[in-house]
Amino acid sequence: MRTKYSVLCVGLLAAAIPAVAHHGTGASYDLSHPVTMQGIVTEFHYANPHPQLFFDVTDDKGEVTHWSGEFYPNPAQLIQDGWGRKRSEAALAPGTKITVTVAPARAGTKVGAITKLVNEKNEVLLGVGGGGPGAVPQGGPPPAPAPEPGK
Amino acid sequence: MTRLGDAVFIFVLSGTALAQGGRGILAHNPANDNKPYDKHDLSGIWTRNGSPGGYGGGGTCRDCGDRGYAAKVPPMTPLGKKMFDANKPSYGRLLGSPDAAAHPEEDIGRRRAVPPASDSDPYQHCNPMGPTRALAYVDPMEMNVLPDRIIQQFEWGWGTRILWTDGRPALMDPDLPRWWGYSTGHWDGDTFVVTTTGVDERTWVDQYGYPHSADMVLEERYKRTAYDVLEVTMTINDPKIYTAPWAGDLKKFRKLDKNTIKSIDGWAGMLEDACAPADEVDLFNKRVRDPAGGVIH
Repeated sequence: MRTKYSVLCVGLLAAAIPAVAHHGTGASYDLSHPVTMQGIVTEFHYANPHPQLFFDVTDDKGEVTHWSGEFYPNPAQLIQDGWGRKRSEAALAPGTKITVTVAPARAGTKVGAITKLVNEKNEVLLGVGGGGPGAVPQGGPPPAPAPEPGK
Repeated sequence: MTRLGDAVFIFVLSGTALAQGGRGILAHNPANDNKPYDKHDLSGIWTRNGSPGGYGGGGTCRDCGDRGYAAKVPPMTPLGKKMFDANKPSYGRLLGSPDAAAHPEEDIGRRRAVPPASDSDPYQHCNPMGPTRALAYVDPMEMNVLPDRIIQQFEWGWGTRILWTDGRPALMDPDLPRWWGYSTGHWDGDTFVVTTTGVDERTWVDQYGYPHSADMVLEERYKRTAYDVLEVTMTINDPKIYTAPWAGDLKKFRKLDKNTIKSIDGWAGMLEDACAPADEVDLFNKRVRDPAGGVIH
């Protein structure tokens, strides 16, 4: 089931990539090969042009790898969906345990664009619940319907 | 959310992106159809972004113009080609990728993206976008109409320009080019016509790195076609760079009530979406964007 689900999601995301290349990030990150990790927050910056998250991931051998991630929505988007600075910083205080999915850097470095982020309670943080660039953060208003031609 | 729920969510996003080419202009609201309006009143907050608050995201919009200046580009002069080749954008289809090769119908400017770590985009460091690029961007823009000028404020980047309506002639060959140039405006029937000169050539025409010279003469034509619709067309006259006048694609904006955008505290009006401070932007580039492109500091 997990495999089928992953293939479905990857396929759908890949289909959307050409339409949503955004903020130049499409050239750096590979949305077609998402990586999911469990980690601990070390730093979070609620800032333009995009908020940034830094976290440590410990493998089975106890080795710690430091990762950096950027969010697709910027503070203006997050605010409209109820994720202001205070709420966001409280949700991502240093030491917070997270499960994070990223589109990894094509360069192979430990950097990614964050596409999904949940805490220990499986609560979606900053509205990043699985969407790629241009996605409306969860918890806010839904996307607008398609425009009417001629208006 | 369940896995199935996640899958549906992603499917909806993908379907929306494919159907609309991304989120574009706000949906038509029939409640605005019969509202009276003054064709000569351009005041208010306007946006080309389709999300309810008119914020962020977006991408392309087939019936309101995408985030590029125009899909078709006139031939360039040798100088124009040299400047075009020197500009390395991070937007568009990835340079040398199968995706880029699969779209020969698109101008090469939209098929040559490199990672931000190795681009030459002035906006990578949050420098001012300049008028054409700002108008092609999708986030809200406010027109503040005064007796002798219109102050145009862009939310993303918090850029400001002044369109003078006091009757002064356009300033040709200014001593000092500026990021937003020198603009004058007048009414031609129901169309507000703006002439802009002296735009610093370090700005790009759009995110794809099309160049212009400081001698560019930009004409913008604003037409309010409904209570909540503003149409903008631009034409670049820059014989140093382009062998013919370059008409931009139509950009359609939807009017937003000032209460549509609010801060967490309920403070209505456009957000101060400045890309600042510069040192933090530099830090972001060094810690995230550059390593993502394989450049380690």
